[in-house]
Amino acid sequence: MANTNLPRRIIKETQRLLSDPAPGISASPSEDNMRYFNVMILGPTQSPYEGGVFKLELFLPEEYPMAAPKVRFLTKIYHPNIDKLGRICLDILKDKWSPALQIRTVLLSIQALLSAPNPDDPLSDNIAKHWKANEAEAVETAKEWTRLYASGT
Amino acid sequence: MDSEDDMHDANDVESLDDFYSGETALASDEDDGDYEFIDNDSDDSEDRTSHRQQQNYIILSEEDICVRQEEDITGISTVLFISRVAASILLRHYNWDVSKVHDAWFVDEEGVRKTVGLLEKPVVEFNLSPKEPTCGICFETYPCERMNAAACGHHFCCACWTGYISTSINDGPGCLMLRCPDPSCGAAVGQDMINMLASEDDRDKYSRYLLRSYVEDNKKTKWCPAPGCEYAVDFVVGSASYDVSCNCSYNFCWNCTEEAHRPVDCETVAKWILKNSAESENMNWILANSKPCPKCKRPIEKNQGCMHITCTPPCKFEFCWLCLGSWSDHGERTGGFYACNRYETAKQEGVYDETEKRREMAKNSLERYTHYYERWATNQSSRAKALSDLQQMQAVQLEKLSDKQCQPGSQLKFITEAWLQIVECRRVLKWTYAYGYYLPEQEHAKRQFFEYLQGEAESGLERLHQCAEKELHVYLEAVGPSKDFNEFRTKLAGLTSVTRNYFENLVRALENGLSDVDTHGACSRTSSSKNLGGGGGSKSRGGRGKITSQRPFPSQTKGLDDTNHWSCQHCTFANLNSATTCHMCHNRR
Repeated sequence: MANTNLPRRIIKETQRLLSDPAPGISASPSEDNMRYFNVMILGPTQSPYEGGVFKLELFLPEEYPMAAPKVRFLTKIYHPNIDKLGRICLDILKDKWSPALQIRTVLLSIQALLSAPNPDDPLSDNIAKHWKANEAEAVETAKEWTRLYASGT
Repeated sequence: MDSEDDMHDANDVESLDDFYSGETALASDEDDGDYEFIDNDSDDSEDRTSHRQQQNYIILSEEDICVRQEEDITGISTVLFISRVAASILLRHYNWDVSKVHDAWFVDEEGVRKTVGLLEKPVVEFNLSPKEPTCGICFETYPCERMNAAACGHHFCCACWTGYISTSINDGPGCLMLRCPDPSCGAAVGQDMINMLASEDDRDKYSRYLLRSYVEDNKKTKWCPAPGCEYAVDFVVGSASYDVSCNCSYNFCWNCTEEAHRPVDCETVAKWILKNSAESENMNWILANSKPCPKCKRPIEKNQGCMHITCTPPCKFEFCWLCLGSWSDHGERTGGFYACNRYETAKQEGVYDETEKRREMAKNSLERYTHYYERWATNQSSRAKALSDLQQMQAVQLEKLSDKQCQPGSQLKFITEAWLQIVECRRVLKWTYAYGYYLPEQEHAKRQFFEYLQGEAESGLERLHQCAEKELHVYLEAVGPSKDFNEFRTKLAGLTSVTRNYFENLVRALENGLSDVDTHGACSRTSSSKNLGGGGGSKSRGGRGKITSQRPFPSQTKGLDDTNHWSCQHCTFANLNSATTCHMCHNRR
């Protein structure tokens, strides 16, 4: 249904994502909707998310690539720029989106966000406060959540 | 890109401060001071009028705006040796402030070019390899002539460009700062590319945004806020008066863009408007006039009858209005159905006091507010009526009058002037009620003085309004020319000028925070003050009240029954005995 008249750009991006995946990232389209992707991102080394496997969903709206893809964490994660519904605060998903960006670049940016949380531009106030007040403790909580919710079982 | 935006913002704030600081300080303090000192003790009504009417703004039609915008673009383009499109982008970035563009450009051209995205040469060489190039957005290959790029050289196919531009234009005025789609590139996309690649609809929208930007982003221009009005106003920043009269006949305050509101300041107006619209007044009313049902908590207004209240379905709880206890506990035992002993006892013990008091206070404050609001609103509608009367006068009546009284139209100007004055006075009078509402309750002398001035203004205006409405009627209905028409002219013109003077002085006195009272007020403090109920006072009107040497109303604060005054026969103004002509209307004693 939604797969008819799929723009060549989406087909090509999908092919490249499957044939040449970025390290630590996998993205595969759903069988019944080629605009819906199941995504897995490995927690980056040297980050509190190391060892975790994080599931995300990614959807390419009708206007894509003129409009940004919609991305959301499905795995619970303790991160100042990600809220409890899994929504992500990332500029390129909003006003800084450019049609020259791709699914791959978006996912790499999200991976980078896991390595470098930004509590000064928070989506989740409580976590950001925690992060700024006592970073060591917040990092511990993030590790704990990674063990609890993202251990890949 | 983030850092660029930050830089931009920082620049704006800084230069804005520089731009205003010197001038506004002058305008708000010293200008006023000078103005009043010069006027002081001189016969100056002419000076004042001319000073007031000196225009510190220019009304611009859409055409004027275009012309100015074009001029600015041409100017920058010529001085900086850049294309008109580049000049337009540059001006837009600096909020159409020509001198800011000059300053920034000549200090650091390279930096400005980088920030704004005006590249001198491409950052990438277009790959003209034999293979057809691929568009970075749709991933299709195209022949070179169907690809396009901004100054940076990042090529995309025309279809993708069109989509990119269209998305941006439909997102709003941000399209005026469009950049190359390549995320690492900040090259600006100007109107030339828009016109080449966008649909006609989008091109129109873009130029509309560009025009609006020239008014909306410019610190010294604003649109007239009247509905449907398409004029903009160019204002000389730092002028003493904020009042602007648009060509559409709407008068508004430049500072807050509410309708013109002298003598009340913008802050008070904002408070008043908020108060008028605020839910809080409804809440006050509910609080003052209702009690919550003890069971379902819905507010109940008791408008008549006995204390036995039955709440509406589905609650249907029966209770006593006085003690809010269940009705089943009531009867002969508790003191009959019309008095509740439980309540009386509890009241004596002080249990009910707090809520009762609060209810009482809310009621008082509501009554006080209603008093001022009603008068404010009445003058508002009276003004609207006067305005339509004026229009009717100009459209029909004047011609009729001209025929009947055998007067050329030019000799009937005094009637239009009278009506314009009425309209203006109604506006001022209306705002004096907001002023009165916020005049602190405890400043008895000021309140008394204020109410006196307001009362005088009101009756003066009524006289004028009456004359322009009722007395004129006689001459409109007359069969032939009336002998005494010239007398009527003298009377109405006289009243107009007296009222104008009175109101100008009133405005000035109120804008001064009634500072006269500071020096003369002591004696009137003993007399009883007309208090208008309880309620909270508000902040004292401070600021410019320092200048006490200026006396728009000499003597009035000393009480009017003094024997050292005479009352003018023409305008009723109370003059000092030493004066031989009326201070207000200049007629002889």
